[in-house]
Amino acid sequence: MIVAERKLFEQIWESVKDLKSLLVLGCGTCVSVCQSGGEKEVGLLASELRMKSRLAGKEIKIGEATIERQCDREFFDSIKDKVNEYDAILSMACGAGVQFSAEVLEPVRVIPALNTRFIGVTVEEGIWAERCRACGNCVLRDYGGICPITICAKSLVNGPCGGSKNGKCEASQEKDCAWVLIYNRLKKQNRLDDLRRDAPIKDYTTQTHPGRYVNEAYRKPELEAQHAE
Amino acid sequence: MNTKYEPIIVAFCCHYCAYSAADLAGSMRMEYSPNVRIVKLMCTGKLDTLHLLKAFEDGADAALVAG
Repeated sequence: MIVAERKLFEQIWESVKDLKSLLVLGCGTCVSVCQSGGEKEVGLLASELRMKSRLAGKEIKIGEATIERQCDREFFDSIKDKVNEYDAILSMACGAGVQFSAEVLEPVRVIPALNTRFIGVTVEEGIWAERCRACGNCVLRDYGGICPITICAKSLVNGPCGGSKNGKCEASQEKDCAWVLIYNRLKKQNRLDDLRRDAPIKDYTTQTHPGRYVNEAYRKPELEAQHAE
Repeated sequence: MNTKYEPIIVAFCCHYCAYSAADLAGSMRMEYSPNVRIVKLMCTGKLDTLHLLKAFEDGADAALVAG
């Protein structure tokens, strides 16, 4: 999932304090799971903002809504009429959701409430960790399912480096050395010989921005023309 | 001017203990301060941050959780 964290309340307040009305818009997918921008968090932030605006002597009308996803066009249908009642949207989605909201709801102003962090997993309740850098050229097969691009501080494909000590990374004692993890995993899989080869230099041309993916099997040119209007 | 501060307290009470106690106090004709407003929950485990924030948002000075 995309993992994001809420901005500091004071930062959010600074970005909305001069508005007359505001719709706090949650996203029901990734940021709901990482408990930063789902329906519950919309309720919490909206409540905090209402109290803050009252304490500041302002009359900001604050509404709440959460849609299934802010990165899919069809989910905006349910709020399209509602957004016209507000000066701006305070989006609690990831950066993709904020941008897509601004695109779909144009010319309504969309303000981000979260900082998008990474593609990651739930380590345990309340803790999430990065697992993928979306490099566009997956090498997990060769490393026992542990990504050296993401987990290694230097993204080495022929590690470890000299900074690996007692299974930890020199960049931070809190970080595991990816290469120790990879070695141990491959050992369990009886695949240590896989590490004897020299991995080719990683092709990073797949990381050019902005990324775009087209699946020809599902492409509908008539819809693209409609959206381009 | 001599005004006495009377905080509004919202008491979130468990149906099976604290609320029953308040109920019993009522049937015994005991009085408690009128600035306590009781909200019955089936269990205080149901209490969510949103409930507390809503109480403060609507003017409560304090929240009491009893269960």
